[in-house]
Amino acid sequence: MTNVLASRSFRGPAADESIEAVHNHLDSLWLDVPFVGDMDQMTFTTAVIESASNIVQHAEPVGQDPVELGVDIEVQPALLQARVSAYNAKPPFGPMIPGSPDEDAESGRGLALIEALVTTVTFERQDGTNTWVLTRTSQHD
Amino acid sequence: MEFSYEVKDSYAEVKADGRLNMVSAPKLREFVTDVIAGGSNRIVVNLENTAFMDSSGLGALIGCLKAARQAGGDLRIAAVQPQVKMVLQLTSMDKVLTSYGSADEAFSND
Repeated sequence: MTNVLASRSFRGPAADESIEAVHNHLDSLWLDVPFVGDMDQMTFTTAVIESASNIVQHAEPVGQDPVELGVDIEVQPALLQARVSAYNAKPPFGPMIPGSPDEDAESGRGLALIEALVTTVTFERQDGTNTWVLTRTSQHD
Repeated sequence: MEFSYEVKDSYAEVKADGRLNMVSAPKLREFVTDVIAGGSNRIVVNLENTAFMDSSGLGALIGCLKAARQAGGDLRIAAVQPQVKMVLQLTSMDKVLTSYGSADEAFSND
């Protein structure tokens, strides 16, 4: 059984305003768990926003319903976990391989950045939903 | 995110206060493009109050850097906060986007 110390959930349209809403959820979550170190908060927030932004920018609807963004974040002892989902979405196009863009490229760094920020990234697809599960082993005592 | 700029003696200082994310990144690019079009090609982006930057924000800064160089100038960043510094280091872009302690220092040796 997991011991969830704090959590936040968001579901809304895969649109710009949802990115700000998710960020506000994260800022408020960290106030509930001040024992989570600054570095963990900073890295995990960045990874969640990168993943959510990826959905808003790239996810395509599988049917007539628009893509929705879902973010569920849990703080457990020594573990941060986020499930970042694209509902009503087609499977991601092509391999999800982090790129290594030229230094003057203006995009293509997101996936590599996510991998550098978290401990594990896994992908699930079920019933028209793509979910990226991010975990980071927390450094707090 | 709020943008402002001030033309100084040898450069134009652009302030970007708030979160530099996929929402604000295109706006930064547009704002800096306008500053360059206004006749300033030496740009310092003061990130003192930029609490957050993601890869979209980084892409916008790189776009602004290229625009400044195409106009015969340069773009430098100043007063980088810890999260922005982390993103620059993890993407190795700290070697491309030169960071200074303050806006005044950015072009002080040119």
